[in-house]
Amino acid sequence: MHELGILSSLVHTIEKIVTEEGLTEVEKIVIEVGELSGIVPRYIEQCYPAAVYKTFMEKTALELVTVPGIVKCRDCGLVFNAAANDLRCPDCSGQNLEILEGNDMIVKELVCR
Amino acid sequence: MNGFKVLQVQQSVFADNDRRAEQLRQELKTQGVFLLNLMSSPGAGKTTLLSRTIESLNGKLKIGIMEADIDSDVDARTIEGFGAKVIQLHTGGMCHLDAEMTRQGLEALGTNDVELAILENVGNLVCPAEFDTGAVKKAMILSVPEGDDKPLKYPLIFSVCDVVLINKIDVLPYFDFDMERCAANIRTRNPAAKIIPVCARTGEGIDAWTDWLCNEVTAWQKP
Repeated sequence: MHELGILSSLVHTIEKIVTEEGLTEVEKIVIEVGELSGIVPRYIEQCYPAAVYKTFMEKTALELVTVPGIVKCRDCGLVFNAAANDLRCPDCSGQNLEILEGNDMIVKELVCR
Repeated sequence: MNGFKVLQVQQSVFADNDRRAEQLRQELKTQGVFLLNLMSSPGAGKTTLLSRTIESLNGKLKIGIMEADIDSDVDARTIEGFGAKVIQLHTGGMCHLDAEMTRQGLEALGTNDVELAILENVGNLVCPAEFDTGAVKKAMILSVPEGDDKPLKYPLIFSVCDVVLINKIDVLPYFDFDMERCAANIRTRNPAAKIIPVCARTGEGIDAWTDWLCNEVTAWQKP
C-alpha cells in the first residue's frame, strides 16, 4: 500500500505543476526511481492506474527510469554502487555509508501541451 | 509532436511532504508543542510503553496521544484508561502516516492544552521510517523477542531514530538476545542514537526514558 500513497502525492505534485505552467494536457510523465528509495518500480506500475483513476491524469502514460544507488563509505571514503555491493564497502567492509544518489523519486519531465 | 512539448521538471515527489512536515514543525515550535513520532513493529509494546510513560510522568507534562492503526480503537481505549487525552486515527489501509495526516490528527486532538504530543505510528519497520511527519524527535522500540539482529535487517528505521528503546528486558534470560551485540548493530547504522533498555510491564528503566522526554520537551519550549 506504500506505493499507492506515494502515487497520490505524485498526482498532487503534477497537479501543481500543471496549474503553475498553465498546461492543458499531460501525455506522459517520466519518473526517476532511486534504487535506495525503498520504492518498488513494479508496484508503482501496478498501482498507477488506480492512483490516476478519475483524475486529470487518467490518460497520462507513465515511464519509469531506475537511478542507481551511489554511496560513500564514511570510514575509507570509497564511492560505490550500494546494491551491487550488498550495502558494504568493497574495500574496507564498512557499513557506515552516506547516500550520495538514488534515495529519491523525482518527476523528471512532462510531455505536455 | 502535435503541439506537445517536453517540460523538464526535476522535482522530488518526497519534497512536497518534506515541506509540509517542516511547516508543521515550525508551527509546533511557536505553540510550544513537542511532537514525538513513536515507531516499532507490531507487538513490540508501543501501547504498553505509552501507558507506563503516562503513569510515570504523573502529570509532569500535559500529554496528548494519537493512536494510528489500520483499523479498530482498542489501543485508544487502553490509553484512555490511563488518563491521557487520546484520539484514534485510521489510516484506511495505508502503512504509514505522512505530514498532512499528522496535521489533521493534531487538529482533531486539539493542542491548546498539550505540551507533549505522541504519535503512535502504524506498527511497521519499513514505511514509517521514510516519511517525515513533522515530529521534533523520532523514537523506536525494539523488543527482545524480535532479536538483536533487527538493526541489520531494517537499517533505515535505526538510522533515522534519535532514541532506540529496547523493551521487554524482563524476558532476556529466555532469549538468545545479546544486549551488547544489539547496541553494536545499532551503532553501525546510527552512531548518535541513544539506547535505553526498558521493561514497560515492570517499569524497569522507564525513568531514564521519561527523563530524556522531559529534557527534550523543555529544550523545545525554550524560545
